Amino acid sequence: MKDASEGFDQSTALGLTATASPDAVKALAETLLTALEDSGTPLTVVENRTGLVMLPYRDTVHGSLFHVGEALIAEARVRHGSLEGYGACLGRDLEFALGMAIVDLAFQSGLLRDQVQAFLEAAAADDAARQGALFAQVEATRVQMETF
Amino acid sequence: MAYVAARGGEAAILEAERLYKVMLGPLGMAQVRMLTDHLPYLLDRVMGEASLYAPELAALAVAQTGGDLYEAVLLLRAYRSTQPRLAYAAPIEQDAITTVRRVSAAFKDIPGGQVLGPTLDYSHRMLEMNVLRGQPTTTNSSVDVSSTVSSSPTVFPALAAWQRQAGLLPEITADTTTPDEIPDVTREPLLFPVSRSHKLQSLARGDTGGILALGYANMRGYGAVHPTINEVRLGYADVILTHPVTGVHFSAGQVRVSSAEIVTNFAGDPHDPRLELGFSATLGWNEVKVIAASMLDLSMGKAGHASQTPEFVLYHTEPVESSGFCIHFKLPHYVTFQSSLEAMRGVKQLERADDLLEMAEKVDA
Repeated sequence: MKDASEGFDQSTALGLTATASPDAVKALAETLLTALEDSGTPLTVVENRTGLVMLPYRDTVHGSLFHVGEALIAEARVRHGSLEGYGACLGRDLEFALGMAIVDLAFQSGLLRDQVQAFLEAAAADDAARQGALFAQVEATRVQMETF
Repeated sequence: MAYVAARGGEAAILEAERLYKVMLGPLGMAQVRMLTDHLPYLLDRVMGEASLYAPELAALAVAQTGGDLYEAVLLLRAYRSTQPRLAYAAPIEQDAITTVRRVSAAFKDIPGGQVLGPTLDYSHRMLEMNVLRGQPTTTNSSVDVSSTVSSSPTVFPALAAWQRQAGLLPEITADTTTPDEIPDVTREPLLFPVSRSHKLQSLARGDTGGILALGYANMRGYGAVHPTINEVRLGYADVILTHPVTGVHFSAGQVRVSSAEIVTNFAGDPHDPRLELGFSATLGWNEVKVIAASMLDLSMGKAGHASQTPEFVLYHTEPVESSGFCIHFKLPHYVTFQSSLEAMRGVKQLERADDLLEMAEKVDA
């Protein structure tokens, strides 16, 4: 995870958006949609659906791969001019996935760069706080062994 | 055997379903949220056996069936069959799992150390009776998060990898099969001798109770292996997808997973002894299942008890097939049963005829 003050690459931006608050993503997407409409180029929804993703897992004993199960996801793909934005999140919230795809499109095109950057920084800070709190509690359960 | 068409019972069937729902009470989002928030381990079990990670739908399935887990698993599997397969995620690697619990019974000092994480293993099993007196439990952490200097590492290597470096395990060549070519029991029949991919997938989606029963039989004495837990782990695995246009990999979120390695103390060439390991992983946090399943992984294929026979273990721990076969017996079997009755009556008639003939012969004599 990059520091919140740094820039974000597309992989990190997508990952942060996928785990951000759905309401925050949808709100940002609404703002971006208004800006996209003002550009005069139509926005096309190429795909917006739910489906399954297979989850391969590597066995640590023989190194074999097997499917541990599937995850339900919602995904969306939008096109604006020559650019395509994509979003996929766990669950079946199609609006969330669509919002993600619009944020990804904006991220690639630089649309409302400051707002997108501020959103990602806030999402990164939330994520860091959440992870920090969890793993501080996990650390408290570390076992210090002694041999008599 | 003969089959006949039967009519009737439609009204009774409709009323039976209505009665079931009346006795269950109204179903709403409140129940779904309550289950999602407060019964994660129950949902984990259902999702693992359904082989589908979808907590909200698992909660709905549990609520809709009144907690009948086999029905809930069936509902999720049925829903799964309506959804298209969109992608294959990148393989989950053990050393990339965000780990909250990792303990070893074989080694006290392991790379990365041991963290107990969330567990009741060392707690008194006593009911919180104060809750029934209107005094809810508190859930505040005793850890002052803001003042914690260092938090736990979030990833740990597989213990097997460390043992391999130490020469205790044979070297392996990583499987480079592309995800879409990994054998998949949801699309191919389970055939024997079973492939390792099918075996581990079947155990991952196996019935917790069934796997525990066979694993317990095996470890209690019917098997040849005395188990020690190399490591058991609970954590979150990223679902790594690929952006369809730019090709960038990203995490679409994390799923709860558990895994276990079981170790024996000796295997192979007596002049070059090595450890022998069993492995299992499943969706959700379900330690009993992965420990028993890794035990079965290790013991399957060895001669002896049925719990070491892959066909016996894998066929009989499939939750939907086994529960479905069991409960199908309550459905009408009138023709087959009548056929048995008629055969029985026929035998009795023949016996009576023989008796009469015998009596007649005695009278004649």
